[in-house]
Amino acid sequence: MIELGRLAVCLALLSAAFSVVMSSVGALRRRSDLIRSGSHAAYATFGLVVVAMAVLLRALLQHDFSLEYVAAYSSSTLPTQYVIAALWGGQKGSLLFWSFMLTFFTTLVQLQNRERNRELMPWVVAVLMVVAVFFLGMVTFITDPFERLPRPALEGADLNPLLQNYWMMIHPPSLYTGYVSASVPFAFGMAALITGRLGDQWIRSTRRWALFSWFFLSLGNLFGARWAYEVLGWGGYWAWDPVENAAFMPWLVSTAYLHSVMIQEKRDMLRVWNMVLVLLVFTLTIFGTFLTRSGVISSVHSFTQSGLGPYFIGFLLAVILSAGALVAYRMPELRNPATIESFLSREAAFLFNNLILVGIAFAVFWGTVFPVLSEWVRGVKITVGPPFFNRVNAPLGIALLFLAGVGPVIVWRRASPKNLRRAFLAPVAAGVAAAVLLSALRVPLGYAHATFALSCFVLTTIVQEFWRGVQARRAMLHESAPRALSRLVGKNRRRYGGYIVHVGIVSMFVGIAASSMFRVEVQQPMSPGQQMQVGKFTLRYDKISTAEDAHVSRLMAVVSVFQDGKQIATLEPEKRLYKKPQQPTTEVAMRSRLTEDLYLVLGSFDPKTQLVTILAYVNPLVSWIWIGGVILALGTAVCVWPSAAERRQEAFAMGAARVPAE
Amino acid sequence: MTTRAAALVLAALLVAAAPARAAESQQAVEEALTCQCGCGLTVHSCNHLQCPSGEPMKKEIAERLARGETKDQILAAFRQRFGEKVLSAPTFSGFNWLAWVTPFAAVLAAVGVLSVILGRRGRGGEPPVPPSAPATGDPALRAKLAKELADMDEDA
Repeated sequence: MIELGRLAVCLALLSAAFSVVMSSVGALRRRSDLIRSGSHAAYATFGLVVVAMAVLLRALLQHDFSLEYVAAYSSSTLPTQYVIAALWGGQKGSLLFWSFMLTFFTTLVQLQNRERNRELMPWVVAVLMVVAVFFLGMVTFITDPFERLPRPALEGADLNPLLQNYWMMIHPPSLYTGYVSASVPFAFGMAALITGRLGDQWIRSTRRWALFSWFFLSLGNLFGARWAYEVLGWGGYWAWDPVENAAFMPWLVSTAYLHSVMIQEKRDMLRVWNMVLVLLVFTLTIFGTFLTRSGVISSVHSFTQSGLGPYFIGFLLAVILSAGALVAYRMPELRNPATIESFLSREAAFLFNNLILVGIAFAVFWGTVFPVLSEWVRGVKITVGPPFFNRVNAPLGIALLFLAGVGPVIVWRRASPKNLRRAFLAPVAAGVAAAVLLSALRVPLGYAHATFALSCFVLTTIVQEFWRGVQARRAMLHESAPRALSRLVGKNRRRYGGYIVHVGIVSMFVGIAASSMFRVEVQQPMSPGQQMQVGKFTLRYDKISTAEDAHVSRLMAVVSVFQDGKQIATLEPEKRLYKKPQQPTTEVAMRSRLTEDLYLVLGSFDPKTQLVTILAYVNPLVSWIWIGGVILALGTAVCVWPSAAERRQEAFAMGAARVPAE
Repeated sequence: MTTRAAALVLAALLVAAAPARAAESQQAVEEALTCQCGCGLTVHSCNHLQCPSGEPMKKEIAERLARGETKDQILAAFRQRFGEKVLSAPTFSGFNWLAWVTPFAAVLAAVGVLSVILGRRGRGGEPPVPPSAPATGDPALRAKLAKELADMDEDA
């Protein structure tokens, strides 16, 4: 059975390579039979990768410890959901999983475009299959997940206990989905460059894919933050680790693209810039994969070092050089005479928003690689940790928040003083009022103060937009307010869905600012019955309790929580000792409310004296980060859902495409 | 003029990015140092059970603060022992300045270039778009509303 998996991977590699050749030659010679062969080979590649995945999953579920991968990342006592998660828990499996996602998305793209983009599609398939050849080549020759042990292990080493968590079940697949789906806009961009069909068609065809990729990158980052918050037990959710940075950079550039592409669609500008952003997002996904797997930069999240680095660097250089050469070759056609006419215009605001987003991405990149640069230039190892990233990105983040309020409401082309008054009078008044109120409440001046005031400014612009839209419909069409709201959003899902996404982002900004700047933390050794104070809460350590099963031993400190003399909760922070890798882990206990999280960590326990050390944190407004994620998901769903007009257009396009064939 | 403005903004951003010279609390010192256990976190954030690096460092910081040492003195002592990598952020000196200045300089350079381009084009551009129709209940308003609704639909 294992041999079937290995055979499937080898055949998938051949099939992908065949698809590249057939699609490219077919496109160059305009031979529809070759193009069809290339397309069918891409479908076959997907089928073969599915077989390989199924074989590996079966081996994991059957605890086949003769397989090195199964023995290294699972055990017979590992709960089934984590056995499934082990598919992407290790280097080898994750690369196979990546290949699976890529070939799956290629299949979807082919199905979507059966009747469309006939000029572009052979090249789209060829580019996607080139990427597949690279990853399948890694799986076949470098990191074979079907490698047998010389002697079968009696028991597996188990999945890293830190990964045995609900959020780790969904964080990596979300991130991989975001990473891998970025290949689709990249492939269309490359196809547009190769064919010279540089109009809006490739952008319109990949609009949803770009949003899809961005959405899953957002989710992946958020799930990862939530995992860190729950599992790592240091009271925070983002440590600016190189691997976290690797996931954050493509998100930033992808966000920039989603904004600037609107300028191209509306005003046919920034073609070069948009092309560069699409190519950059993909490049950053490969760079992120390189960071995680090369060991060039140390990170707690990295996979075991495996010598993959040089291959990834080679592929990365090939991507940058080929994409760069194509952009340079097509530069005269990409240039467009349309210009931005004024600073006071939506396109200028979007462009500045782009600069800030790409600027933050650059700052993150720079901080991530600076230790390597320092060692190379000075021969001195240095650390670039959270203080650097927080200090550099905070002012840029504030500028970005301000632009999130300006961009959506300022008019296209050139705003007159009257336009500006109409758009910004109420939001600026709200922002200033909030700033005054915050000062009156003695919130110290600084980033948190600025973030809260600007959040009011941005939210007012959004509310104003909804209000004016609804009022316009009510005046013109005599609709009731709820109907007007629903039709307003339904008629222009991208615009109003975008506003909802902005509400989610503002919510996250507020949660991040409050929880970073106003966190209260206390660490205290306690005997049974002893109390400690953290913020407005009194904690009483009652006793230690224990639990054990075949997989893990648990040690829980039972802590009663009091507020104003009344008991409001009992929390049980715990230490776990996993039996297979004999590794202790921390399980935090939380009481989450909209106003704050009370977050307890069991630091240490002395069995002789029953003395424990409790780390207690009060993280204000941190829930708003996760709520922001939910709002963001809602807004994205509104954006992605096709409007009636779009459905009509698509139906028309499909019909028009079928006519000649019939 | 533009260069001077850019220099001023860069200086302001660097001041904003510079660490506040606040009270030298235990937390401030712990956050300025990286735990050497390999967790990648600052000494303050590392909560590994009986961490062989973080716990002794926290204890030593407390002792040094109690002896009246300043943050800079404590950081210098740890730097001498572990090397520059023990500091959680690059110093504001020598080659490390590049780490701090480059991101802001890159953003400001891009904004500067964009501003110059927009400034040139703005001067030679088309006349401003006429202001919007007056907000009254007359036919002009109705026409304006109809146009706005059409624009909204068109954006979709």
